[in-house]
Amino acid sequence: MNNLIKLENICYSVDGSSDSGSNGSRKIILKDISLELRRGKILGIAGESGSGKTSLAKIIAGINKSYEGNITFNFSEEWKRIRTNPVQILFQNNGEILNPLRKVDSIIEETLIVRHHSKNVEQEKHRIFESLNISEMIMKKKGYELSGGEQQRAALARILAASPELLVLDEPFSAQDPESQLNLLNFFKKVNIEYNITIICIAHNLSILNKLCDEMMILYKGTVVESSSAEELFSNPKHPYTKFLLKAGNYELNYNELSNSNWETEKHS
Amino acid sequence: MLDVKIKNIYLKGRGTLLSETNFSLEPGKIFTILGSNGTGKSTLIKSLTGLLDKKFYSVEGTVIFGKEDIFSLEYPSLLDIRRNKIKYVFQDSINSFDHLKKYAYYFQRIAKDISESDSLLEYFLLPNSKTLFNLYPYEVSGGMAQRISFVLALLSHPQIIILDEPTSGIDSAIANLFLIKLKEFVNNSEQLNSGLKHSALLVTHDIVFAQKISDKIAFISNGMLSPFVDSQIFFEKSNVESWNTYLTAGKALWG
Repeated sequence: MNNLIKLENICYSVDGSSDSGSNGSRKIILKDISLELRRGKILGIAGESGSGKTSLAKIIAGINKSYEGNITFNFSEEWKRIRTNPVQILFQNNGEILNPLRKVDSIIEETLIVRHHSKNVEQEKHRIFESLNISEMIMKKKGYELSGGEQQRAALARILAASPELLVLDEPFSAQDPESQLNLLNFFKKVNIEYNITIICIAHNLSILNKLCDEMMILYKGTVVESSSAEELFSNPKHPYTKFLLKAGNYELNYNELSNSNWETEKHS
Repeated sequence: MLDVKIKNIYLKGRGTLLSETNFSLEPGKIFTILGSNGTGKSTLIKSLTGLLDKKFYSVEGTVIFGKEDIFSLEYPSLLDIRRNKIKYVFQDSINSFDHLKKYAYYFQRIAKDISESDSLLEYFLLPNSKTLFNLYPYEVSGGMAQRISFVLALLSHPQIIILDEPTSGIDSAIANLFLIKLKEFVNNSEQLNSGLKHSALLVTHDIVFAQKISDKIAFISNGMLSPFVDSQIFFEKSNVESWNTYLTAGKALWG
């Protein structure tokens, strides 16, 4: 078994709506999510807003611990001695993880020292900056001086400096122009192969996931309606909701299809 | 119906952002501007009704709407245009609202009859007026705020709607609604017959959306806006280098 991560029946709910009189009812965000992901693979998770995809990302990344069910990681031994987290997450508004008043250079250096106990810091730093196309000039800038695209690359550099085994990406492509999206896509593929990092990518754009992922999972209202290899899912989608999403991405829906969208949550796979 | 001749948009401390930008919006058509991040797309569309902060920007040129130059209008007439004739739907629509005013405030000052509001809200799969009017802007999601902003724009029956990245941050299914409604807005035959003509201008990164919705497309790069060409021509045989890198990336992603 070469699973890096295994989720068993993850459930997550929050206090019911803030309306008075809702008497402590629980709102279900995620219901019975199970998945296994092998080391070195890229998994795509797609769904619309409210499907629970960001909640799932936070649970996998260890930020949210108030879930039910089991998560098993199978990290290598060395993590017992290391103070950085083997799971790193890149958020949608990634600029916020950078200290606006520190230079990119020193942010990355610090992470490298914590992670690698000051071995080969200079060399590692240059390797990371090179693979991300971060110039000398950007390295010397402070967090607040960076443009949106530069912020994202700097945030990624910080993540690479932590050399995680699992990288969770939450909507990394949104609000980027096509050229930047393509660069990012190629970069994630490179990280996956060269740095041997397993990736879970959450996005609503199916066609980009198609280009990136080995495995796919479709979330609808907190449940998995379809999961299979990316090849299978895109060439032969089974659940009507998956077909609906694919059609929506191509802007081919008519109004009737749009307004009658209440899907069964029974899983097809 | 909108005749734009902008010589120069100048940002203090940085220099010229855009120069020699000339185009006309024709009725019954949807115009789209494509281009990479940071090329000045949003700046350009904000400049059209004088929305750029004069402390930082100066704009030289004319924008003729009807018979008047928007740039030389007195403030009350400018306000009338912004309120009733040229409406915007911004990318971060949630910030277009005062978070301490309920949605009722925005709807009641624009919509004359509640049934029109309700039918548009229903169309956009939003809560009806009874529920929505009691909500504060911070109680809805970003995607909902974007739809509400579009509904409000439609309710004021403008002649031109300008949208900045209408599909970013919303689900593809909802983006389909924007597509259908915008086409209806510019093509509505009743309005065309009564002499009221509409057009739309949008800025987007979503190439698939642009291809499905646009009549005319222009590309912005290196501080210049290309002429608007038929959408089909843009996608079939664009021979400008900067368009090509952009489109090749687009096709690699969505092709």
